Amino acid sequence: MASAIARSGLRTALRGGVRVNPSATRSFSSGASVEEEAREAAKWEKITYAGIVACSILAFVNLSKGHPHFDEPAPYPYLHIRNKEFPWGKLFVIQI
Amino acid sequence: MIESQRHSYHLVDPSPWPISGSLGALATTVGGVMYMHSFQGGATLLSLGLIFILYTMFVWWRDVLRESTLEGHHTKVVQLGPRYGFILFIVSEVMFLFALFRASSHSSLAPTVEIGGIWPPKGIAVLDPREIPFLNTLIPLSSGAAVTWAHHAILAGKEKRAVYALVATVSLALVFTAFQGMEYYQAPSTISDSIYGSTFFLATGFHGFHVIIGTLFSIICGIRQYLGHLTKEHHVGFEAAAWYWHFVDVVRLFPFVSIYWWGGI
Repeated sequence: MASAIARSGLRTALRGGVRVNPSATRSFSSGASVEEEAREAAKWEKITYAGIVACSILAFVNLSKGHPHFDEPAPYPYLHIRNKEFPWGKLFVIQI
Repeated sequence: MIESQRHSYHLVDPSPWPISGSLGALATTVGGVMYMHSFQGGATLLSLGLIFILYTMFVWWRDVLRESTLEGHHTKVVQLGPRYGFILFIVSEVMFLFALFRASSHSSLAPTVEIGGIWPPKGIAVLDPREIPFLNTLIPLSSGAAVTWAHHAILAGKEKRAVYALVATVSLALVFTAFQGMEYYQAPSTISDSIYGSTFFLATGFHGFHVIIGTLFSIICGIRQYLGHLTKEHHVGFEAAAWYWHFVDVVRLFPFVSIYWWGGI
């Protein structure tokens, strides 16, 4: 107990002498400072915006193409398998 | 109470939620089987089970948040538990999705004579991987960048920017789900069209389901960030959401390369 008080007093004295800015360091981190984290946040913000721009262009290109149409395939036995009714009622086919 | 505690561990109080969640899971399973076999009352039991599970999830997580924010039980040593637990959960998810992708490669690497000895099977038209499939790979990756932005913003103490970053994460996730819905709607085959349809919709559908779970997780983190629950020293819930989100966007690369691209050539 006494040694803990002594250590705490020593720490306070040291802080007073060295003037460490407590907001500049984090106790529970891999070591990066708040400034470094802010720079990383700004970097990833820019990467996100670049991603959003790229996705928007691609989305525009894809949507302006219209949707594809496919020919009806031959009735092979492994296609369009219907063995029993769905739990909500009769067999149903989604017509697109 | 916390002042009288001489250790940093959280001794949890008795809780009804494990047994209520278990009963909900039992009712959901039995109800689901009954419903799928058209038994009377199956739909009712399934609905009751799902309501029970959703209620348990809500109140259990509410209790955990109270223990963390109001009661301060989540000390650094206590935080290790959910971290290890969540890492193990993601490992089990990797194995689950691996099985689905392996089902697809197993069927496509040596296609049987019954489907024409070729992949995609004879009569199956496939989507162009350069169109929506590629876009829907880029969107989760951009969303992953946004969640990294959110993480650094939290660590830098920029609370508002972190909320914006999570809004970007969730928006991109919702756009992904919308495009995936469009792709399914326009798809030339269905889940009942040969082993191609079965493996394609099982793998991409379960990936899409994981995206929806990750979206909900990120929405919760955004709300908690807005409410000031997350600090730069303590944000385990957000870290778990970010890990999960990166897992979901990396996993998307596998169906894109092996199912849409390689499997569609």
